Amino acid sequence: MKTRVLEEGQLDLLRNSSGLLYRMKDAQSASKMKGSDNQEKLVYQIIEDAGNKGIWTRDMRFKSNLPLTEVNKILKNLESKKLIKAVKSVAASKKKVYMLYNVQPDRSVTGGAWYSDQDFESEFVEVLNQQCFKFLQSKAEVARDSKQSPMIQRNSSFATSHEVWKYICELGISKVDLSMEDIETILNTLIYDGKVEMTIIAAKEGTVGSVDGQMKLFRGVNPIIQPTGLVKTPCGLCPVFDECHEGGEISPSRCIYMTEWLNF
Amino acid sequence: MTAQEARLCGLLLREHFGEVVEKIGTHLLRSGAQNLRTIVNESGTPIDLVKKSLCVLMKHGACRFSIGRKGPGSPVEYQASCERILGILRYPRYIYTAKTLYSDTGELIIEELLQRGHMTMSSIVKMVADRLTHNMEEGRSIEYNEVVSTFSKLVETHFLQRCPPVSEVVPPVSTAPTVPGAPAAPVSTGPPTPESFSDCYLVPSVSLAGRGKRRRSGEDVVLDQGTTKKAKTDLQTHGDEGIYWQVNFERFHLHFRDQTIISAVASKLDQAWESLGTSRFDSDYETSSEIVRTMLRMSEVTTTPSASCTQALSANEVFRSLPANYSISRPILDQYLTLLVDDPMEFVGKTGDSGGGMYVVNLHKALTNLARATLESVVQEKFGSRSARIFRLLLRKRHLEQKQVEDFAMIPAKEAKDMLYTLMSENLVLLQELPKTPDHAPSRTFYLYTVNQLATARMLLQHCYKAVANLIDRRLFQTKESKRLLEKSQRIEAIMASLQASGAEPEQLTEVEEMISAPEKQQLESLRHHINKLDSAENQVDETIFLLKSYVASTARITR
Repeated sequence: MKTRVLEEGQLDLLRNSSGLLYRMKDAQSASKMKGSDNQEKLVYQIIEDAGNKGIWTRDMRFKSNLPLTEVNKILKNLESKKLIKAVKSVAASKKKVYMLYNVQPDRSVTGGAWYSDQDFESEFVEVLNQQCFKFLQSKAEVARDSKQSPMIQRNSSFATSHEVWKYICELGISKVDLSMEDIETILNTLIYDGKVEMTIIAAKEGTVGSVDGQMKLFRGVNPIIQPTGLVKTPCGLCPVFDECHEGGEISPSRCIYMTEWLNF
Repeated sequence: MTAQEARLCGLLLREHFGEVVEKIGTHLLRSGAQNLRTIVNESGTPIDLVKKSLCVLMKHGACRFSIGRKGPGSPVEYQASCERILGILRYPRYIYTAKTLYSDTGELIIEELLQRGHMTMSSIVKMVADRLTHNMEEGRSIEYNEVVSTFSKLVETHFLQRCPPVSEVVPPVSTAPTVPGAPAAPVSTGPPTPESFSDCYLVPSVSLAGRGKRRRSGEDVVLDQGTTKKAKTDLQTHGDEGIYWQVNFERFHLHFRDQTIISAVASKLDQAWESLGTSRFDSDYETSSEIVRTMLRMSEVTTTPSASCTQALSANEVFRSLPANYSISRPILDQYLTLLVDDPMEFVGKTGDSGGGMYVVNLHKALTNLARATLESVVQEKFGSRSARIFRLLLRKRHLEQKQVEDFAMIPAKEAKDMLYTLMSENLVLLQELPKTPDHAPSRTFYLYTVNQLATARMLLQHCYKAVANLIDRRLFQTKESKRLLEKSQRIEAIMASLQASGAEPEQLTEVEEMISAPEKQQLESLRHHINKLDSAENQVDETIFLLKSYVASTARITR
């Protein structure tokens, strides 16, 4: 009788130190796995354990000790039964990880807010970039026009990352929810563009927007020099600068870039 | 001395002194120190031409002589100075600076001195007075005393200095320059700097009385005393024979450096005037740069040129030395100083608290930041703003992997890779390998991208030299192409001038004018426009050259 119940898949067979144990499977999971054999159950178990990070086919093979063909067949089977799904990883576009059907993939796999369907959203990032910069620039101008003492002027031209985050959220240009760290990565790109500078100040733990007792402040700045003299000449921007010499095919006397520039 | 520098020096020498001097000069530059016989043999020019070229070069400070390497008995050796020849490129900037600081008189003094190399004070004064009088209206002339006072001011602020006297240890057989010998001085191992002599900035007391003479065209100089022979004027002595003056280029360079720092502070910290109304004085909005200007002015005499930061100045001193029209209160000044210290660019630093706070201007840091901004602007203009973002990112974070570059700069992987490889092919970005295993297997090695600011600055400096040489080449080429047209226009102008002087009728003048056809006039006009554009472009590249060279020199001093 025991074997018949086992065969019908209504009992789980387990072993402990004193002997064999039988456990009743609950009805739902029993119905799911009905018709699948043990190998499929094993694969399903492994995928469930992987949680929201998913598991790669090669790792699957190591864990289940099944040959590749078997694993592939089982995965296809489970997919058609809509028990698992394949998610393409953003790190390596050929790699597929499998996870349970109703589990949200983790940020490291999908790339977070900047990726939609494995594609990096450049225009979205650009738009956010410009909006943040405009916000900081207008704040700095307001501070300058207020004509107060210089210290107050400079301090009021600063904006915390929290303020910028609130502004962007209220603008409503983003379809996905952006966190403060996302906004900080955008602001960092503005620093690398040379348009914005950042300072960190100590803040009380409870104040809004502080992380670990610190707050990051950003403000728009002007560049310290005008474009340098070399780039005002055609030679500074010439793509064939290294091949140019007097008497050669490309030479200053016959340079077409210079002719265009002189006739401008 | 690199190939590009040699080419540029050759072009400059040819333009200013002619082909013979160019030949000897470039020969000396390439071969180092040589004595007279070797120069004659190797360059294949006759000895008197070599002697004359060496004289010309020495008069302008581009060549110096020293005792031969083999000991006191060996012939004198001559050495050309590449730096000094490249300084010819900067003459227009020196003249312009003198004009802004000391108006027309100063401009003409510097111009005359730059053209002639070394001169005595009396001859400079006379020449400048004559030129100024020539440009004024009829009946007015300029007193010598005015020129002398401007001259003394230039010497006081160290823009002019005496040429160092030559020691008599050098045997008289050599071709001595026009600097006469002084009483025997001890043998010096290196070339004496002008400032090692205590009289360097002492203005001699000369008896110069008179006014500038107006030169009539085609006539000799007419003297007040009634004599008409020009030779007699030259024989008048004024008590300063043997004291020759030259332009102190170092001082001009310090001035340029200070100007660049002040304008950088102004554009970073002061308000942009365009966005504000003009109802208030502009001086209200330049305060930060004015403070830095005051600090630099106070440090002019106390700081050595090669220092990395100025002497410490107390806030009290700065407050007292601010210009009279700046009526800011003491607490406001303190706030500005604090802002300057807190700025990430670190132009000003605080070294102590006595006297209301001791502040220094960080010259080396300022130059580094300016050089970095120059590099960034070159990358931005040449490759686009996203490549500039990657470049700045690498400058800040030093070493980054490919993946990290993409993440920080928020640029898609494919494009970031493309940009990085382009920058690498131009040698702006370097790849550093960090192996994890001793066998350096590629799959187990970290590949980090990095930017080396000093090396990149040096490379860009060489590019600048090549660019200037290209511009000069193009200018000479365009002049040569239109030589026929230029000669024709010169002939026409000469005919017109002589006709006007001898009082011709208007019909004759128009007839002569019509000898040049309209398209030729247009061609001439466009040629003039092109030459001007090329000239001004040379000056602009020279600004970049100055900045990068100061940065490289300052870094070399720090690391020595």
